[in-house]
Amino acid sequence: MGDLLTDAHWGVLLILLPLFGGLCSFLWPSAVKFIGLATVSAVALSVVGLGDQLLATGVYHHAVGGWGAPLGIDLYADGLSLFMLMVTALVGLGVSIYALDYFDQDEARRFWPLWLLLLGGLNALFLSADIFNLYVTLEIVGLAGVGLASLSGGGAALDGAMRYLMATLLGSLCYLLGVALLYHSAGTVDIPLLAERLESTPPVWAALGLICAGLALKTALFPLHFWLPKAHASASAPVSALLSALVVKASFYIFLRLWLEIFSVRTEGVDDLLGALGMAAIIWGSLQALQQTRLKLMIAYSTVSQVGYLFLVFPLAAIGTFSAWSAVAYLVLSHALAKSAMFLVAGNLMHFGGHDRIADLDRAVQRLPITVGAFALAGVSIMGLPPSGGFIGKWLLLNEALNQGRWDLVFVMMIGGVLAAAYIFKVLGFAFTQAPVTHEPKGVPAVMEWSALLLAVAAIVVGFLASPLMLILGIGETVELMGAGQ
Amino acid sequence: MEALDFALGLFDILLVFLVLSLAWLVMSSEDLFRAIVLFVAFGLLMALVWVRLEAPDIALAEAAIGAGLTGALMMAALDRLSSVKPIQKVAASAQRKQLSLSSKVLPLIALVLIVLGLGYALLSLPEIADGLTPNVKENMAQSGVKNPVTAVLLNFRGYDTLLEMVVLLLALLSVWSLGGERKLSPRSTNPILGSLCRVLVPVLILVSCYLLWVGADAPGGAFQAGSVLGAAGVLLLLSGWHVEQKYLLWPLRFILILGSGVFIIMAAVLLLIQGGLLTYPVAQAGWMILLLESAATLSIGATLAALFLGGVPKSRVDQ
Amino acid sequence: MNSPMIYALLGITLFSVGLYGLIVREHLLRKILALNIMGSGIFLMLVALGKRSAGELPDPVPHAMVITGIVVAVSATALALTLMLKLVEASGSAVLHDAPKDRS
Repeated sequence: MGDLLTDAHWGVLLILLPLFGGLCSFLWPSAVKFIGLATVSAVALSVVGLGDQLLATGVYHHAVGGWGAPLGIDLYADGLSLFMLMVTALVGLGVSIYALDYFDQDEARRFWPLWLLLLGGLNALFLSADIFNLYVTLEIVGLAGVGLASLSGGGAALDGAMRYLMATLLGSLCYLLGVALLYHSAGTVDIPLLAERLESTPPVWAALGLICAGLALKTALFPLHFWLPKAHASASAPVSALLSALVVKASFYIFLRLWLEIFSVRTEGVDDLLGALGMAAIIWGSLQALQQTRLKLMIAYSTVSQVGYLFLVFPLAAIGTFSAWSAVAYLVLSHALAKSAMFLVAGNLMHFGGHDRIADLDRAVQRLPITVGAFALAGVSIMGLPPSGGFIGKWLLLNEALNQGRWDLVFVMMIGGVLAAAYIFKVLGFAFTQAPVTHEPKGVPAVMEWSALLLAVAAIVVGFLASPLMLILGIGETVELMGAGQ
Repeated sequence: MEALDFALGLFDILLVFLVLSLAWLVMSSEDLFRAIVLFVAFGLLMALVWVRLEAPDIALAEAAIGAGLTGALMMAALDRLSSVKPIQKVAASAQRKQLSLSSKVLPLIALVLIVLGLGYALLSLPEIADGLTPNVKENMAQSGVKNPVTAVLLNFRGYDTLLEMVVLLLALLSVWSLGGERKLSPRSTNPILGSLCRVLVPVLILVSCYLLWVGADAPGGAFQAGSVLGAAGVLLLLSGWHVEQKYLLWPLRFILILGSGVFIIMAAVLLLIQGGLLTYPVAQAGWMILLLESAATLSIGATLAALFLGGVPKSRVDQ
Repeated sequence: MNSPMIYALLGITLFSVGLYGLIVREHLLRKILALNIMGSGIFLMLVALGKRSAGELPDPVPHAMVITGIVVAVSATALALTLMLKLVEASGSAVLHDAPKDRS
């Protein structure tokens, strides 16, 4: 039995299960909730299975069709992939439970097939070792994201979805052109083979520029973030949570993966440029968040600033240390949990009061203590206060910046933390005060309150799990490669 | 022989010039209808380019999808656009005139710089590169088909194609999620369209079957066959094809997911038997690929026609 | 310069012309046309450079990639067009306005 479990193709299951579930939920609309929850749970179990397998045997490697690179496509999972799959499964489970009560039957019929296919696309993305295959998964993620973003209907959501569609298609095309250049430079689209074969030539530089630009647009790195606030703020709450927590991270993961394996040797100046954009994103996003009067827009701008932190890793890791990379993985994890919790909280508050005006939260804390508690806990992680996942991530990053004497980065991170505290305490402040206009509040289903709290608590708890999580991140070649630089 | 080379070279230059000017005109012409017509012409010329590049499989796909279906989608959208908001065109062109010089010149400079930069990158690629040609050639015997492009699409990189079927389905799911219901239009009063349909639709279906069958050995395959089938569907929709409501629910959905469904089930079964995702046993590869392609053709055809309709189809006879 | 290279250069020029149109033109239908032209340019470059092989036949792998790409492009186009129509119905405009409504 033990052999069967460690030999099973968990990685392949992680892709096929949600896709199959998505088809089934389309075919049997009356059973979507059951099919959806069963699929998401099965995916979460498969991630556990894959984790168990990786801890026992090291990396997972599967040559699709038995051909192997360069002719075929390879699936590949190391610590970083497992980490991303874990984040996806955790957030996905929380949001799925929330969605059970959030959507009415008609909306649920449209939500679940799109979400399950998105989940399949995300898993396929984290498991792919082939840059053209990554393009196809990016398109799955992008189109599913657009479909989900427009789910709630209405002018604002459609406008946001349209901006998102334009941005994501342009990003994909830039990425694809980069892939084409790399293929014709090296005769392969397999990441490990590219790493061996690529030399520093003009086409490779052009490809680097195009791929970075395309993925930065999809990740909403300042100043290419223009599409994000509207798209994320006008979607329905569970969708905003998925988009902010997972979809943005998917393109960042490709960025990170390609950087680590292909482009790391050939980057002079690009890393500093990315760092500078990251710093600008932190300041600009936080200032914008502080000025917002609508809760969901504030949370969306907060995502713009938190994405900035992720890009600070590139100038720091140029010198090549493991702690910089683990810091960024930690930030991805804790931001995904905290941000999805925040959007779910926003959904609860909208359900409760019918609006998301921050100034009119009207003593929500007394009437929705669990929801406001979830917001506060998620806020702790976003601000980077101990004990939380956000604290560990930012602390590791800060440490690295101090060690390398990058005072500019240290300064910006400090400012970013203060600004984050300001916009989060602003919300909490209004949640305690009475609004001038009182209105008739609606009750919020317990499932919606508790699932938001669950994700927020998880964002705190991961702050205590540093050593097992580092162990997971340490699986596989990427880390040896990263560790070699120490 | 040299004269032929010279003539072909001249033809290349003429074609490049034409394609480029059409693209520019699509972007710059004021009238949207004209832009779409030019875009269809652009697609047809692109099909010619593919022939020149010895890519007949792409030429077929481009002619059917790139020029045909995309053009039809755009035309239908423009038609609906004018019925939704006739004043829009005026507003848009009025706004256009307000564009300052710098907002037009700066992108133009950027355009030139990008072309120069990428052009330099292309010219510094090695003169001769085999890519994956030798690898494909070496493994053709094990692929189960004789057309190398089909071998890559369905076997060597079949996993891409599986995911691509999901992309197609996702587009339709998103459209349905947006579009609400769309009643099948009443029977067209245009007798020419009706009789054209009676002749063309069976021919298109035959062509589709032929493309599907021949795809194993010669240019053709599921995507080309599926898009021809989709074109037949579009014609039927235009001529007011009546489908009873009961067929529009479960049976239609079943056909729509058939392609990706069979692919996923096949992948899972092969994983169990062969121990690998989409690892075909060499002796059985041929018919397995044909099965996958047949399912994919049906789904692609149905999905493209449904995308053209643009909403959840509903019988015009209310039940 | 041989003919595949000419077509590859045409490809990147089409990409750039499409990009220009995407940025400069405001009507959403035109932006969708622009994205399609950009895509065609990439496909052209991908295939044209595959003709550099020394053998008789061009590289079939880019051909398969382009067929994949064409299907992805038509899917995205159909979605974009439907989204555009819905947006026009809801807001009365086929242009994305950049007026900063965020602070209202």
